[in-house]
Formats: sequence, C-alpha cells, structure tokens
Amino acid sequence: MNIETNQTISRVAEIIIDELKLEDVTPETFDPDLDLVDEVGVDSMDLATVALVLRDEYGVRIDEDDYPKLTTVRIIAQYLDDKRNGSE
Amino acid sequence: MATTREEYTFADILANPHIKERWQKVRRYFFLRESTYDMSNRCNIRCQGCYYYVGDKQFAPENRDEQAWRNLLLKEKERGITFVVLAGAEPSLVADLCRACYEVIPLGAIATNGLIAIPADIDYRIHISVWGNDRTSETIRGAANMLGRQIANYHDDPRAVFIYTFTPDNIEEAREVTATLADCGQSISFNMFSAPVGYRGPLQHTVDSLKKTRDVMGELLSDYPQSVLYSTYNIVAHTEPQGLHDLFSCSYPRRNQSTDIGLGRSFRQYRTDLQWDREAACCVPDTDCDDCRHYAAGSAVVTARMYRHAVDPETFSAWLDYVDTYLAVWVREYKKGQNLCNTYIHPPVKK
Repeated sequence: MNIETNQTISRVAEIIIDELKLEDVTPETFDPDLDLVDEVGVDSMDLATVALVLRDEYGVRIDEDDYPKLTTVRIIAQYLDDKRNGSE
Repeated sequence: MATTREEYTFADILANPHIKERWQKVRRYFFLRESTYDMSNRCNIRCQGCYYYVGDKQFAPENRDEQAWRNLLLKEKERGITFVVLAGAEPSLVADLCRACYEVIPLGAIATNGLIAIPADIDYRIHISVWGNDRTSETIRGAANMLGRQIANYHDDPRAVFIYTFTPDNIEEAREVTATLADCGQSISFNMFSAPVGYRGPLQHTVDSLKKTRDVMGELLSDYPQSVLYSTYNIVAHTEPQGLHDLFSCSYPRRNQSTDIGLGRSFRQYRTDLQWDREAACCVPDTDCDDCRHYAAGSAVVTARMYRHAVDPETFSAWLDYVDTYLAVWVREYKKGQNLCNTYIHPPVKK
C-alpha cells in the first residue's frame, strides 16, 4: 500500500461520510474494508452521487458497469489510483 | 468557466441554485427501495393486451391469508424494502390484503382499474388506469362508462392519479380525457402501451404513433400544467423509437445479472402465491423488453442513470424533472415542482 493510495482512501472516506451524512465515524476511523452495501447501507443512487463527486475531484469517470465491484473504500481508492496512473 | 458539455463538473452544474434546490429535494427520496406484488389472480374486467394474463404468473394460486402477507412484508422490510407496488390482477378485489401490506410498509402505490373504490385508510398512492375515452374503453376493456365511474370513486381523493395509457388508436382521445379530469381537479400522468411477449396486435406502437403521441403529450403538458404530472424529458424517454432498455440499460433483475447493488440486488416481483422468480423479475413481467416504454419501468430505469445525465446543466435538469415527476406520481404527499427543462434533450449514451 503506497502513500498515494492511503491519501486517496482517506479522501474517499471523507467524501462518503460527507455525501451520505454518516454519523459516528470520521475519515480516520472509517474502516476502508467495510462492505459499503452490506455494512454501511450504500445503494446505487448513493454510489452514483459519490461517483460524481469523485469525478470532480480526481477527473476520473467511473463506468456504470463498474459500480458493483466498488464494494469498499479501499477498492474505490485503488480504482481511482489505477485510472489516474493509466493502469486500467 | 465551463465552455463545452464535457467540461462541466458536478459542482458546476449544482452552482445553479434552481438545480441545486431540486437536487436536494429529490435526493431525500433515494432511500426508496421497491418491490412489486401481484395481489390477486382475478380481475373484474378483461382488457386487450393486459400484461397480467400473459405467461405463467396468472396461474399462480392466490394466497388470501392476511397473516401470510403480513409476514412476507415484515421480511421485505427486514431486507430493506421501503416502497411497495401492489398490482395484478386487480388489487381492489382484496382490500384486506392491501391493508395488511400498508400496515407494515406505509409507503407504496396500488395499480387499479378504479371501478371499485379502495378504502381511504389504505393511504397509498392510487394509480387508476385509463385507456381512452368511454367508447374505446368499452371496446378494449369491455366496461361501460369507465371514466365517470372512476372519477366518482376517487372524487377529491388526494391518493388518486389517473394514468392514461397511449395506444396508436387513442392518441387524440387523450385531449378529451385530460380535459375531463382537469375539470374535476384530478391529476393525470401518462403511460405507453408496451407489448407483452408475443403480442403483435394493433395496440403496439409504431414510429408514426410514437411521434403523434409525443406531439399530443407536449400539447397536454403545456395546456394543463396544473393537472398533468409529466415533463418534456418524460415525453422524450417514452416516445423514442428505441425502448427504455435500449436507451438506458434496464436495471431490473430480468435484464441485469448483478446482485451486488441497486435493483438487481433488492427488487423482487412476487406472484399471488408469494413466490418470486429472478428470471422474470421486473415491474411489468412478461412485457417484451424491446418494446418496453412502461411508465413504471421508466421511473426506476431512468432514475437509476443519474451519472450519465450529469454532463451539463440542461441534461441534468431534464433528469431532475423526470425524477421529480416520478416521485409526484408514486409518493403520497410529494409535490411536483415546475419543470426546469422544457427543451427536448436526447437521452445521453453511456460513456
């Protein structure tokens, strides 16, 4: 895990907390391996909202077909970093 | 400053205060997660082209046990369902079962032909189907004086919204029906006949009838803005030569293998025996997906494609109008706002 991905994890967590108005959790305490659907209660419209904010911040377009595999903050962060680094 | 469609960020789009206000209004309802339920395998009329009496679902036995329905709805609630649609064949014949559902999940809608009044204590949205003027209804549905009886049953009833289904043969009649409903203070929204699998009859739309329907819908939206719950983008989405699946990639389980998130994960279509089949699960089972322009399907399928509409203020406004309309049609107490986009926007393709 590199520094870039750790920073992305923290920022993705912050965006999810902010957009979905999650309580009792901070970017520092948000477990990046929590299943966003099963354990956080995120649904497709929530994820689409988060994807738009991430598009603004990282300039990365998230394909609709990729939503189902973006199951944790860590996976989203890795997805963004891979896209930005041109490895996907 | 953004100069082309591709350069708009989501923040740019939300910088418009009207868009931001509408976005904040509709996103409060993102918690809605629907499933649909066939309540009875009986109906008091028999309509040509009815989706219910096609395929296997019509042969499922009825479960008339209130407690069984209550138990099912409790399980549905546990798995996150927050909105129910009670349909097929005619829910008003089993009001006690509808009430049992309402008492467990209080948000929902009932699709009915409107000839039997559903008791007022079942406070779901009531969708009353209209298929033309009384002359046409008598031909297609075999029932006399339908509109007058429907209006009498739901006079001054805030639950009611009349759903006019356009077929190639009743396009012009929509004017007189809408005028009558508007005079009575009723709300009306539009549906498109969508052929059941294997149907090749005269009710199926053609390129020409789609264009004529588009024109009449636009005229009615303009002439009766207080009564017609619709938007310009609704008109586009439902009258394009391509159906909803081709335009928006239907996300109901029947066309969507993913069980990870969204409708593919949560949606179920229960038959009258309280069983469901993933292979058949969509809001209007046994409809030919290539011909599907059904209003209920669009409400979920277009709404789910928010991301691809967030490309510029105009396109996103069109999507917001669609969602605002869907919520006004389906959710009790939700008030539709003035449409934000009155120009014809072609549905954006997936990038």
